[in-house]
Amino acid sequence: MMEKMIFGRFIPGDSFVHQLDPRSKLIFTFIFVVIVFLANNVATYGLLLIFTLFVILISRIRLYFLINGLKPVIILVIFTFLIHILFTREGDVLLNLGFLEVYEGGLRQGIFISIRFVVLVFVTTILTLTTSPISITDGLEVLLNPLKKFKLPIHELALMMSIALRFIPTLMDETDKIMKAQMARGSDLGAGPIKDRIKAVVPLLVPLFVSAFKRAEDLATAMEVRGYRGGEGRTRYRQLKWDAKDTTCIFALVLMTALLVFFRS
Amino acid sequence: MNKMKLRSFVTIAMLSSISFILMFLNFPLPYFPVFLEIDFSDVPALIAAITMGPVAGILVEFIKNILNWLFMGAPTGVPVGHMANFATGILFIMPVYYVYKRTNSVKGLIFGLIAGTFTMSIGMSVLNYVAFLPMYTYFLGMGTFDVKETIVLGILPFNIIKGILLMVLVLMLFRTMRNWIENQRAQYLLQKQ
Repeated sequence: MMEKMIFGRFIPGDSFVHQLDPRSKLIFTFIFVVIVFLANNVATYGLLLIFTLFVILISRIRLYFLINGLKPVIILVIFTFLIHILFTREGDVLLNLGFLEVYEGGLRQGIFISIRFVVLVFVTTILTLTTSPISITDGLEVLLNPLKKFKLPIHELALMMSIALRFIPTLMDETDKIMKAQMARGSDLGAGPIKDRIKAVVPLLVPLFVSAFKRAEDLATAMEVRGYRGGEGRTRYRQLKWDAKDTTCIFALVLMTALLVFFRS
Repeated sequence: MNKMKLRSFVTIAMLSSISFILMFLNFPLPYFPVFLEIDFSDVPALIAAITMGPVAGILVEFIKNILNWLFMGAPTGVPVGHMANFATGILFIMPVYYVYKRTNSVKGLIFGLIAGTFTMSIGMSVLNYVAFLPMYTYFLGMGTFDVKETIVLGILPFNIIKGILLMVLVLMLFRTMRNWIENQRAQYLLQKQ
């Protein structure tokens, strides 16, 4: 559990996808999520599937991790698939069992929706599997920079995100400690009727809040002493670098979009 | 940079972390669909709103959901559930903050919490009707469930129960922490004005 909390779902590696700049990966994922909805026939869904398999291949992520990401939706996918098979009545009847008729259109729709689902989940999962939360934060900060014109505090938001990320393990540790201390006194958070659960949460929250405010005070003082003065003219420890790989990745995406638009009916 | 401003930024970050952690201590209610889960991650956001103003509360909700999305991913690829959670949180904490600010008493807090429960359940029913359920339906393909039935039998009673549970928790928390909260509030919020 602790290990999981520190890195999120990130799996370190040095594949092509790992080496990409977080900015290009973010742009890629967001646009990909949109173009998935362009697909509407066998050719385009086939293209999507092949493209996704290719991305999985070059990311060198073990299939096990991706299937793991699919676990929460697998029931949903099967359910939607069945709904389409049972209730969409288009085209020829493929199978007639008397009480149950499977139509060609229903089967096709079911397969299409399942592909769309799996493709969406895989691509977004690959983003979080190959990019650490802190680099995603860095990438988001740079990408959202133009919004500063509308007086949105993008730098401050990114700062808060990175502090929050940094303190998740620490506060997790503390939560764990307090929970164990409460358990030693005989309270149990994970079980019992709802009334008891709420009662058990109060002695967990009080020390957490108090220590969080104290920690914040200390950290703010430390930052001030070191001369933190907002985003203006601040240099970076983690530099982002856009190189040929990132351009290739965006180019592949543009090509994919063009193919989808060309082949869709 | 203003010292108090920097301190609020850091405090908001810490509260977001707590909120994020509390999201893992979630549990489904009996008799409700599994995607409706209760967790207490709105409490840190509420504390942030009361001590540092409404924007702080919104930021905690926002960062919590972004972090959860980064760590857990979204089952539909597009974070519809996270957007819904964000909206729920805001609809709950805003009325509490405004009513409590006016009266500054336990009675005001109770009224605020009741108002929050009200806006949360009504607001989420409306938002689910016009936005979130259609979005789910769209991503899933065609109508897999009856929208009206899901709202009347699922979303509405669920949010009322969630509001009541949060209300009980916040009141219990407030009984022990009132002085401390007021103290923080004096440091953060009142100094700004």
